[in-house]
Amino acid sequence: MNAIEISHLSKRYGSSVAVDDLSLQIPSGTVFGLLGPNGAGKTTTFRCMLGLMRANAGSVEYSGRPLAPSTFEDIAYVPERSVLYEWMTVAQHVEMNRRAFARFDPSVAAQLLTRFSIDPRKRVRALSKGMRTAVMVSLAFARNAKVLILDEPTSGLDPVNQRHVLGLIVNEAARGNTVLFSSHQIGQVERAADRIAVLDRGRAILTGQVDDLKADRKIVEGVFLDGATDISVVSTDPRVARVDRVDRIVRLLVTSGADDVAQSMTAAGATGVRLLDLNLEDIFFYAVSPADATSDAATRSIAQ
Amino acid sequence: MPAVLTVDPGSGVPIYLQIIEQVKRSVALGVLQSGEQLPTVKQLALDLTINPNTVARAYRDLERDQIIETAPGRGSFVRKNGAEANVRAAATDVARGAVDGALREAKSLGLTRADVRATFDLALDRWFPEER
Repeated sequence: MNAIEISHLSKRYGSSVAVDDLSLQIPSGTVFGLLGPNGAGKTTTFRCMLGLMRANAGSVEYSGRPLAPSTFEDIAYVPERSVLYEWMTVAQHVEMNRRAFARFDPSVAAQLLTRFSIDPRKRVRALSKGMRTAVMVSLAFARNAKVLILDEPTSGLDPVNQRHVLGLIVNEAARGNTVLFSSHQIGQVERAADRIAVLDRGRAILTGQVDDLKADRKIVEGVFLDGATDISVVSTDPRVARVDRVDRIVRLLVTSGADDVAQSMTAAGATGVRLLDLNLEDIFFYAVSPADATSDAATRSIAQ
Repeated sequence: MPAVLTVDPGSGVPIYLQIIEQVKRSVALGVLQSGEQLPTVKQLALDLTINPNTVARAYRDLERDQIIETAPGRGSFVRKNGAEANVRAAATDVARGAVDGALREAKSLGLTRADVRATFDLALDRWFPEER
C-alpha cells in the first residue's frame, strides 16, 4: 500500500513550469528523500500535496484517499520557512497544537524542545532560524502522525541537532510511519532514506532504492593506449548512461551489469579496467549534470 | 552491541551489504558467537541512525544465508545449528571477496594466469609457511 501516491502533478507559475507531470509512489513505512537543485520544484510539490497551493493538473492520494479534513490529523508538515507567530511564545504554540490536533502529545513536544535546548517561555521573535526549525520539528513529531512531510527539516541546525532530527525520522520509520523529506545535505538523505527521487525542472529524473542505486550504478574505467581504438561496442551498450574520455582513459557510467561491461571493455582492448563505486552524491551529480561536465568521481579516480 | 557494527553511509557500498559483511566477519572472528543475540532492527537503526528497512533487508539476507535466525517476538540470533559450518562459510565468503578484488586488479594490469599463480604461490608460502 502506498502511503502517498502523486499522479501526473503539474504546477505552472505564469509561463514557467515548476512541477511537470510528476508521479511518485511512496510506500507505507518508508523514508523517502527528495533531492534536487534549487528551484527543482520540491517545495512547490509539497505545497500542492498539502492543498496549500492549487495544482494545475494531477492528483495526490494518501493511503488511496484524496486530501480531506479528516486526513489532516494523519499528516504533519514542516515547511521550509517558519510559519510560527513572532509574538507568541513556544509554549503557546504547543498549546495551540494541542487544541488543534487530537493525537498531539504535549509531553513529547516538551521532551523534544528540551533536547533541542529550547526554552518554551521564549517568544518566537527571540529565536534564531535554526531554533525555529527545531520548534517546528518538535511540534510535528509530537503529532503522532502517520505521514510526515518535512521540507528541509535540518536547515539552520548545528550538526548535533541535525543528527537528532535524523534520529527522529529513523524512529518514525521504525514505528511503521512514512516520512517524505527534502534536504540539500545528501549525506543525511543517504543515512535516513531508503528510497529517493531526484527532481530536476519539476520532473523526477531518477527514482529508486538508495542501496539498489549504489549496487547497480558504477563507473567502469579503462585505459586505451591506442587512441584510435573503436570503443563503440561498449559506448553504445544500453547499460552505459554516459561516456567520458580523457586522453587514453575512458570512463563509463553504467546503470547495471558493471561486471559485464567491464569484461567487454577488456575484450575491446582496454587495460587497467576497474570498477568505481558511487555514493549518493556522485549518483545525484551524474543525474543532474550534462554529460560533458567534470565530475567529482572522475576527478577522484585520477587522484587515486 | 553498537560497538561491534559500524557503517559508512557515505560510501558507494550499499549499507545493507556493509551490515551483512560485518556480521559475517564478526561471526567468523568469534566476536559474535553461536546463539548470541543481535540488536533488533529498530535498535540497530537507531544506534547507527540509518533506515530500519535497510537493516531489515540485511537481516533477511543473513537469514537466507543461514548465518542468523529470527524467533518472532524474541529477536535475531546467530544460528546454533551448524554454527561451525556457517562460521567457515562466512569466513570463506569474506575471503572470496578479497581474492576476487585482487584477481580483478591483477588481470586488469595484464598479468597472465601463470603470472598470477606464481604470485599467489609465493604469497601462500609467506602466509602459510607451516603447511608447505
